[in-house]
Amino acid sequence: MRLQIERIDIGGLCVGSRTGVSHHVLYVDFGELEGIILTDDRIKAVRLHIASPGDRVRIVNVVDVIQPRCKVDPEGSDFPGCLGKLRVAGEGRTRSLEGISVVLSNRYSKRPYSALIDMFGTGAEMSRYSALTHLCIDPVPSDGVGERDFESAVKLAGLKTAVHLARAAEGHPVDRTEVYELNLAERTEGGQSHLPRIAYYYQLYTPQHDYQGISDPILYGSEVKGLLPTILHPNEILDGAVLSGHTIRELDTYTIQNHPLVKELYRRHGKDLIFAGVVIGVASIEPVQRERMAMMAASLVSNVLAAEGVVLTKTHGGMPHVDLALVAEACEKAQVKTTLFIQLVHGVGSTADEASFSSDALNALVNIGQTQERIRLPKADRILGGDSDTIICNPDSLQKAGDEEIEIEGFLLAGVFDVLGGSRIVAVDY
Amino acid sequence: MEQKRLRVVHYLNQFFGKEGGEDRADIPFLIKEGPVGPGMALEKILGNRGNVIATLICGDNYLARDVQNASREGIELIVTYKPDILIAGPAFEAGRYGVACGGICKAARERIGIPAVTGMYQENPGVELYRKEVYICKTERSTLKMVEDLTFMVNLALKLASKEKGKRLLSLETIGRPEEDHYFSRGLIKNEIADKTAAQRSIEMLLAKLQGRPFQPEAKRPEFHPFEPPPPMGRDLSLCEIALISDGGLVPKGNPDRLRSRGNLIWAKYPVETFWPGESQASALEISHTGYFPIHVLEDPNRLVPVDILRDLAKEGIIGRLHPFFYSTSGCTTSQVRCQEMGEEMARELREGKVDGVILTST
Repeated sequence: MRLQIERIDIGGLCVGSRTGVSHHVLYVDFGELEGIILTDDRIKAVRLHIASPGDRVRIVNVVDVIQPRCKVDPEGSDFPGCLGKLRVAGEGRTRSLEGISVVLSNRYSKRPYSALIDMFGTGAEMSRYSALTHLCIDPVPSDGVGERDFESAVKLAGLKTAVHLARAAEGHPVDRTEVYELNLAERTEGGQSHLPRIAYYYQLYTPQHDYQGISDPILYGSEVKGLLPTILHPNEILDGAVLSGHTIRELDTYTIQNHPLVKELYRRHGKDLIFAGVVIGVASIEPVQRERMAMMAASLVSNVLAAEGVVLTKTHGGMPHVDLALVAEACEKAQVKTTLFIQLVHGVGSTADEASFSSDALNALVNIGQTQERIRLPKADRILGGDSDTIICNPDSLQKAGDEEIEIEGFLLAGVFDVLGGSRIVAVDY
Repeated sequence: MEQKRLRVVHYLNQFFGKEGGEDRADIPFLIKEGPVGPGMALEKILGNRGNVIATLICGDNYLARDVQNASREGIELIVTYKPDILIAGPAFEAGRYGVACGGICKAARERIGIPAVTGMYQENPGVELYRKEVYICKTERSTLKMVEDLTFMVNLALKLASKEKGKRLLSLETIGRPEEDHYFSRGLIKNEIADKTAAQRSIEMLLAKLQGRPFQPEAKRPEFHPFEPPPPMGRDLSLCEIALISDGGLVPKGNPDRLRSRGNLIWAKYPVETFWPGESQASALEISHTGYFPIHVLEDPNRLVPVDILRDLAKEGIIGRLHPFFYSTSGCTTSQVRCQEMGEEMARELREGKVDGVILTST
C-alpha cells in the first residue's frame, strides 16, 4: 500500500471573498463555509473565527482539532465511513495543509471535560497547537436535536471544513511530499534482513468513558466497543480511517492524522528495524473478554505479523493500563519483547505508585507524563467557543473562562500531552 | 550584569551558634547580626551573590519540645530582616537539631514564603519527617566536609530563589532532580521536557531490550505486598455487624467533603439512615468520579452500595445489623500508596466501632 501526502505550508489564514490559497495564504469565504456547515439540519447557526498565534485568545469547549486534508486521488474518499463513502483509506494521494487547523468547539456539551487552547502566555508555551493558526467552528444546535446527535453534527462540520479548506489549495505548489509505503505481505523469511521486526499495538478505546453509555464512532464511522483485535495498515491510520472521539484527552484527530509513533516506525523502517504492521484493539471491563482480547492481539503480533518486538500505546485513563499490560504479557509469553506507554496522574508519590500491574517481563515502560499536573493560565482578552462565563473544569473549584487566572489539569490543555507519543514530556521522581 | 545580593538568614542550634553545649540546650531564640560559626563559611561561599545578614539561634530542647509552634516563633523574629533565603544547619546526624532545622525551614516557607534549605545525614530522623515538605541536602555524618555540604545547600537555595524560568520542567521551575542537586527526594512527580519524544524513546528502549543492551525504564515497578487474609469472623453471622465501603464516589448532593472526581486522596463517611432514607433517593446523591459513566448508579445507588439488600438481611436476621455509617471514597486515578493508607484509616475506625465484617464494592 502506498500513500503520498502532499504538504503545503500555509503562512496566513484570512477571511476573503473567495476561498482559495494564494502564495501560501489561505483565504476563506465565511459565507460559503457557513452554507456548507448549515446543510446539516441538526445545526441552526455557526460562529466562525480565526485565532492566530500570539492573539490574547482562549478557545474553550474544544472537542477536536483537525488538520485540513483532502484526497486528491482517489477523490471523494475523505474520512471514509464518516464523511466520504466507505473505501479503504491510506492509498493514493492526499493533500495536507500545514500550519493551520480546524478547531471544533461544542459549548452545549455537558461532558465533564472541556479542553482549551490558549494562543498566548503559559498555555501557548506548552501546547503544540498554539503555533498554528486556527479556523474555529462553534455551531448552535437546531431545536430538538439531542446532545449526542449534535456531537456527531459538530464532528461532521469539522471534517467537511477540513476537506473544503484543503480542496481550496488545488493548483498551489506542493512544499513537501512524503511517501508512506509498506508491503505487509512481504516477509523477510530466512534471515534476509538482520533488522528486528517491530509491530505496533494501538489501543483505540476504553468503554469506561462512554458518555450516556454510548460509544463515539472512531473507526471508519463505526464505534469500536467490543472490537476484537484486528490488523490495520498503518497508512489507514494516517489517512482518515481513525478519528478522535468527542472529547480531547491527550488525543485529537490532528494527532492521529500525524500519528507520531507510526511515523517514527516508518522513519526507521529499513534502517534499524522492519515495521511489521499495526494491531488495533480496545479495553474491556469484563475479565474473560480482556483475556480473549489479549490472547488474540498477541497471536496477531506474533503469528501473523511475525514481530519480534512490539510497542504498545494506551488510550486515556487509569484502567486501560490493565488491558495494555495483559496484551503485553501475552506478547512476552509468545517471545515478543514489549515496550509499554503508561500515563501518570499524580504529582505526589513516586513513579512506582501508579502502575496497576507489576510483572518481570514488562520492564520497559515509557511514560507520557503526569497528565493531571495543574497549569495556571493568565486572563484572556477574548474567548472563542464559549464566553467569559463558560465553566472550566477543575475538580476542586468552580472557575470561569474569563477569570483573572484559571488552573486546569494538563490533559485538558489541548496539544500538551500525547498518548500517541508525539510529546517530549516525561514524568520524573523529584 | 550586577546581580542583586540576596539577604540570607542562617539558623543554628546553641552549639554551632557558640552559645554552649548540652547544658545550654534549653535557651530560647536569640538573634545575632551577621554570620556566626559555620555562617563564616556560608558567607564565603555566597561571595557576591548574597550576605548572611543575621543568625537565628535556639537551643535544641527548646525547639524540640514543640517544633511547630517554636518554629513559628523563630520565624516571626526574622521577618524584620526581610530575608530572601533561609539556610538551616546543616544538622549532620544530630537528631534534635535535624528536626529543628526541618521545622524552621517549613515555617519559613509557610509563614513568609521564602525558599529554605537545610542539610542532614541520611540517618537523621529529620529527613523522614521533613523531606516531603522541605529541601534537605544530603551531607556527611559529621562536619568533615562542611564547606562542600554548605556549597550544595547554597546552590540549591539560589536555584529556588531564582526568578528565571527553568527550561527542563513543564512547570518552568528551576530546580534540578534530587540526585543532581544533592537533596533527598521529596516524593514528588514532575513533568520534564525530554530531548526526544515518547515515540522515539519507546522504539529505542525496545531495540535495546531486543538486543540485550541496558535501558532505563521511565517508571519504577510497583511493589504489591501480599497480605494474609484475616481469620474468619468467628461469630455467628446473625450476630455480626457489617459495614459497607465503596470507591465509586457516591456522596451527598453538593459533595460537602469535596472528594475529587479524579486524583482523589480523601475519604468520608455518611450516616446510612439520613444519607439513605428509606427507598434510596437518587436526587439527594451525586457521583464524584470521572472514571466511569454513572448513569446506572444514579438511577439506583443500591447497585453500587447494596444498602437495600443488607437492610433486608438484617430484617430477616441473617446478619446482625448494618453498620450505621457508609464509608465512601472516589477511586479514580488515586495513588496506590494513598489507597493503602485510606484503607488503614478506615479499618482503624471500623475496628473501634466493633464492626465484624465489611463488604467493599467498586466500579
